Amino acid sequence: MCWYQILALVSLVFCVGHLTFHLLRLIRLGKPHDYAPASGKVGPAVQYSFTGAMSPGKKESAYLHLPTYGAGIIYHLGTFLSILLFFILLFVFPFTGLFRWIFSVFLFISVACGVGILIKRMVKKGLNDLSNPDDYISNILVTLFQLMTAIVLILPFMAPVYFIVVSLFLLYFPMGKLKHVLYFFAARYHLGFFYGRRGVWPPKPL
Amino acid sequence: MGSLNKETIQKGLDVFQNPADSKLITHLNSCVHCGLCAESCIYYLATKDDRFIPARKVDLVASVYKRYCTHIGKVFPSIVNARKLNEETTEEMVDLLFGACTMCGRCTAHCSIGVDISFIVKTGRTMLSNMGMVPATLQSTVNAALTSGNNMSIPTEEFVDTVKWMEEELIDEINNPNALIPLNEPDKRVLYTLNPREPKFFPLSISAMAKIFFAAKESWTLSTAMYDVTNYAFFSGNNTEAARIADRLWKEMEHLRAQTLVLAECGHGSRAFRWEAPNFLKKPFPFKVETSVELIAAYIREKKIRLDPQKIKEKVTLHDPCNLVRNGGILLEQRVILNHFIGDFVEMTPHGIDNYCCGGGGGQLAMSEYNERRMKIAEIKAEQIRKTGANIVVTPCHNCVDQLSQINIHFNLGVQIKTLAEVVADALILD
Repeated sequence: MCWYQILALVSLVFCVGHLTFHLLRLIRLGKPHDYAPASGKVGPAVQYSFTGAMSPGKKESAYLHLPTYGAGIIYHLGTFLSILLFFILLFVFPFTGLFRWIFSVFLFISVACGVGILIKRMVKKGLNDLSNPDDYISNILVTLFQLMTAIVLILPFMAPVYFIVVSLFLLYFPMGKLKHVLYFFAARYHLGFFYGRRGVWPPKPL
Repeated sequence: MGSLNKETIQKGLDVFQNPADSKLITHLNSCVHCGLCAESCIYYLATKDDRFIPARKVDLVASVYKRYCTHIGKVFPSIVNARKLNEETTEEMVDLLFGACTMCGRCTAHCSIGVDISFIVKTGRTMLSNMGMVPATLQSTVNAALTSGNNMSIPTEEFVDTVKWMEEELIDEINNPNALIPLNEPDKRVLYTLNPREPKFFPLSISAMAKIFFAAKESWTLSTAMYDVTNYAFFSGNNTEAARIADRLWKEMEHLRAQTLVLAECGHGSRAFRWEAPNFLKKPFPFKVETSVELIAAYIREKKIRLDPQKIKEKVTLHDPCNLVRNGGILLEQRVILNHFIGDFVEMTPHGIDNYCCGGGGGQLAMSEYNERRMKIAEIKAEQIRKTGANIVVTPCHNCVDQLSQINIHFNLGVQIKTLAEVVADALILD
C-alpha cells in the first residue's frame, strides 16, 4: 500500500469515526415520544416518506424543478458509485476491464450535473444569497472526487492525485453539509413519524 | 430592540440544550440549501422576496445552533455561516419567523430532504420567547387568555348574555322550547368549546352548532369557566404558557366529567389541544377528544342528522385549514359532510394536504404590524378562490374565516365565507 493510499485510509477512519459519533448521538437521543393518541400508523408513513413522498409525482420541489431533480439524482448516484469504487480501488488497483469505461462515462455525466448545480448556485440570486462557503466547498469536493474517480479509472498513473482528493473529501465530509448522508435518513424518518401518527401520510384518496 | 445581555442570550440558547429526542438535532443538521422549497411558500410566491425562502428561515435558527453547538461553527464560523445570537440576528429572526411564516408546513411536506421547517420555525419562536422577544401584539393575545380565560378577555357575564341571546334566537327559529344551549352541566357526553371570535363577533355560529346538537339529540354543554379552544402560546413558542392554557381546558373536562371534548372549528386550536396538549402536559388524555368536523361527519354517517340537498344551490368550495388538514389529518370528514348535501361542490387547486394557507395562521391575525404583508400574501388564496368560480367558501376554522373575509373584501371576490357548522345548520331537516 502506497503512502497516498494510507493517507486515504486514515482519512476514511476520521470520516467514519465522526459520522459514527453523529449516528450514536441520534440513537442516544432516540425517537420522539408522542403522548397524543395516534390517528394513523407510523410504519406505512415512514415507508411513504422514503418512497412516494420523494417521487416527482408528489414532491413539489421535484416536479416544479425536474432538470435540477434529475441532475441531483444522477449526481447522487455518481457520488455513491465513486464511494463504492474508492473501496475497490483502495485494495484493487488499477481497475481493469470494460466496466471502468462504463463507470467513467457515467461519472463524467455526473460531474457535468455537479458543475451545473454549482453554476446554478452561483448565478441564481436567491440561491446564491442562501449559500455559504460550505455549500460551494462541498459541491466542489464531491465533483472533484467524482472527476478524479472517472480519470483514475482510465489513467491509473493519476493515482496519487486521486487519493489526495479522496482524502480531502473524506476529511471534510463530516464537517459540513455532506453529513446529510446520515441526517437525510433521520429527517425522513421523523417526517414519516409526524405525518404517520396524525394520519396525514400515506395520503388518503379523496 | 435593546442590547442583549449574557443571561438573555443563554435563555435563547437553552432550546438547544437537552433536546427531548433526536428530532431537533436531525432537522438542524439536514438542510442542504437547495432552495427548492421557495415555490412551496406563499410568502415567496406572492412577493418573490428571496428573504422569504423557507430555507432562509431554517438557516437563521441553524446558524445560531452551529455557532454555539458545533465544532466547525465555533472554529470556522464563516465557512458554515454560523451566527452569533445578537441584536442583528434576533431582529431578523423576529421579522422572518414571526412576521413571514404561518407555520402552515407546506414547505415541510415538499422539502427535498424532509426538513421539518415549521418545527424549526417554532423552535426559533421558542428561542425568541425565552428571550422576551415575542411581538407585543401576539403576546397580548396570549396574556389575555392567561389572565381572563379567553383570548378576547370576554367577561363571563357578557359571554352568558350572548349565549342566552343565541338560545332565544334558536328557540324562535325552530319554534321549540327544548332547543337549549346548556351551560356548565356536569356528566354530559360532550363538552363543546368555542373560538372566542364566536361570542365576540360571530354568535350565529354558536346557535348553528347548537342547532346541530339539538337535531342530533346530543347530550352536551358549554362551560363558562373555560370554553376557549384557541392557544396562541403555541404560536408564540412559549410552551409553559401553552401548557397552562391547555391544562385549564383539561381540568374543566375533568371538573364537568364530560366524556368527549369537542373542539370547535379552529385549526390551530384543534391542533394545539388534540396533538400538542398531551405533549405540553406530558400525559395522555383520560377522555376522548375530537373535532366538531369529525363529530358532524359521524352524525351524518350514523344518520343522526338529515340534510336537505336542495337547500344550498350555489357553487361551494372548501378551504382546508393547514393546522386541521396538513398538520392534523382531518381531510375526508369535511368532504363527507359537503358531498352529502351540496350539489355543486368544487375543489380548489391545489387542495387537501397540498392546499395553500390563507395567510391568517401562525398568529398572523393577531400581529397587526404585519397586516400589509398578510394581505399581500393573501393574493395566492384569492386567486385560488376566484378560479373555482364558487359563490360560497366553506372552511372549518374561525381564524381562516376571519382572514378569508378580509380577502373577500380586499380582492373584491364577492363570495360568502361560512363555517361548516353554518352551512350544515342551514340545511338541517328538523323533525
